[in-house]
Amino acid sequence: MKPLRLLALFIIPMGLIIAAVPQNKTKPYKLTADQLLGEANTRTQYVAPETVADMIVKKDPSFQLIDVRNQDEFEKFSLPGAINIPVSDLLSDKYSDILNQDVKMNIFYSNGTIIANEAWMVTRQLGYKNNFVLEGGLNYWFDAILNPQKPASTSPDEEFAKYDFRLSAGKALGGGLTVKTNQNQSSASSKPALQSAPKKKKAAGGC
Amino acid sequence: MVNSKESKKTKYLNPYVGGVLLGIVLLAANFVSGRGLGASGAIKSAVVSSVSAIAPSASEKSGFIKEFRTEHPGNPMKTWLVFEMTGVLVGGFLSGAFAGRLKFKVEHSPKITSTKRLLLALTGGVLFGFGSQLGRGCTSGSALSGMAVLSLGGFITMMAIFGTAYAFAYLFRKNWI
Amino acid sequence: MGPLSVNELISENTNLFLAFIIGIGFGFVLEQSGFSSSRKLAGVFYGYDTVVLKVFFTAAITAMLGLLFFSLFGWVDLNLVYVNPTYLTSAIIGGMIMGVGFIIGGYCPGTSFCGASIGKIDAFVFIGGLFLGVLIFGLGYNTWDGMYLAKFLGSPKISTTLGLSDGVFAFLLIIIALVMFRVAEWAEKKFPREQY
Repeated sequence: MKPLRLLALFIIPMGLIIAAVPQNKTKPYKLTADQLLGEANTRTQYVAPETVADMIVKKDPSFQLIDVRNQDEFEKFSLPGAINIPVSDLLSDKYSDILNQDVKMNIFYSNGTIIANEAWMVTRQLGYKNNFVLEGGLNYWFDAILNPQKPASTSPDEEFAKYDFRLSAGKALGGGLTVKTNQNQSSASSKPALQSAPKKKKAAGGC
Repeated sequence: MVNSKESKKTKYLNPYVGGVLLGIVLLAANFVSGRGLGASGAIKSAVVSSVSAIAPSASEKSGFIKEFRTEHPGNPMKTWLVFEMTGVLVGGFLSGAFAGRLKFKVEHSPKITSTKRLLLALTGGVLFGFGSQLGRGCTSGSALSGMAVLSLGGFITMMAIFGTAYAFAYLFRKNWI
Repeated sequence: MGPLSVNELISENTNLFLAFIIGIGFGFVLEQSGFSSSRKLAGVFYGYDTVVLKVFFTAAITAMLGLLFFSLFGWVDLNLVYVNPTYLTSAIIGGMIMGVGFIIGGYCPGTSFCGASIGKIDAFVFIGGLFLGVLIFGLGYNTWDGMYLAKFLGSPKISTTLGLSDGVFAFLLIIIALVMFRVAEWAEKKFPREQY
């Protein structure tokens, strides 16, 4: 058979198949289910609200709060400097540069922790690093930071230290109580370390 | 008139077979290195190397050379394209050896002299070298590899190359037929 | 999952070594198809030898289909594969200059290396010309860098620009290519070929 006929015989059906089949747009998983479960159980993805409050007050540039609730809730109230990535849009291409990077720590938060943790698990499975979850979410934030309970007089000193810190942070962040600023506060937990993600290489080419 | 039986003195692959094989090579390049084939970039590496070695002051003044050096720290010759083109030399040589086509000669139409052919080759080379930098690739890098990944820029360059060549073909026909 | 080098499944040095091997394949196939001969290459512009058209387009659609199928099977991540950027002005003008160079010189950089590897002296001279051309461009860069960087459109794909999916565009291109091949075969019968 003439070579051209043979070529056409093969290539036209292949072309038809590729034209008809929808494109494969799935993003590849970088972690197996086991690995993800292991990491989730170590709970290292959580960041205490005191740490976050401290970073906000000190105007630390190395973090980014991400509100994963929907837009209405975000507009009603959001933490200072937070951006809104509703969890339903989490995998859209326009956010992949924010979620997959090694320059800042992203801290997801929602009203509780369920949705923020969901966002963390999904992005972690895609291999993204440097994403964290605000422990307790906004509910706990309101209670702990913005309206901290004065500890009972018999509580240990650390409780008072925490309380003083929360008061001052709360004042800085919009809580209503008067406060005496106390310089010697250090956050209860230390900031998680920034992990460097592997350089997202794009192949160079052309010339 | 008939084209399949002539040229007994040298046998070439059926062009469709050659095309499929070339396509497989191109696919391999994309799969392994995430990029297509290319050629003019290897010349660019050579130019950058030589200019930097021979006339460092000129290389400082040229944005072109400086940009290349920043993008490729280290030896400018240690690039994907230089390794690939070295392979092309080896592959072409092997193929020519198997087919008995190894011979030093100036290939030209009987209607022009060898010298004229060499002058034409030089002129064509200078134009192509210049154009390939402007067009960010040659027929291999921009047109062929660009088409395989559906690049618009590659497609445009390809149309420009072939369109212009066809347009000027009549003018230069005496050199070929 | 590919591309192997971008996903760091192979080291940079392995990548360069494989570039060498791929180059061997490239050179071998080119030479086997006759691309080491400037007269064969120029033939496509006069109709007497359309090997350039056939090989070029067959290779383009083979690789295109290959990549799309690989992506379908999850063997390659097309987002990580290099797509040539589009700088409108320089793409057209550079292409035109290359076109003139092609019809005068009868080679392009890849095929000139191929021709040189089997001893074609005109190919050597062409390569020398290439070097000069790039040199001129580089040294005079400040004069034309405006044109070089003009009208940057990013790295769009033809399919997106036309509003088609990659697969549909690939199919259309296949049909167009097959039609061109038919025309090419007609042309070769019509325009006689000399012995070379």
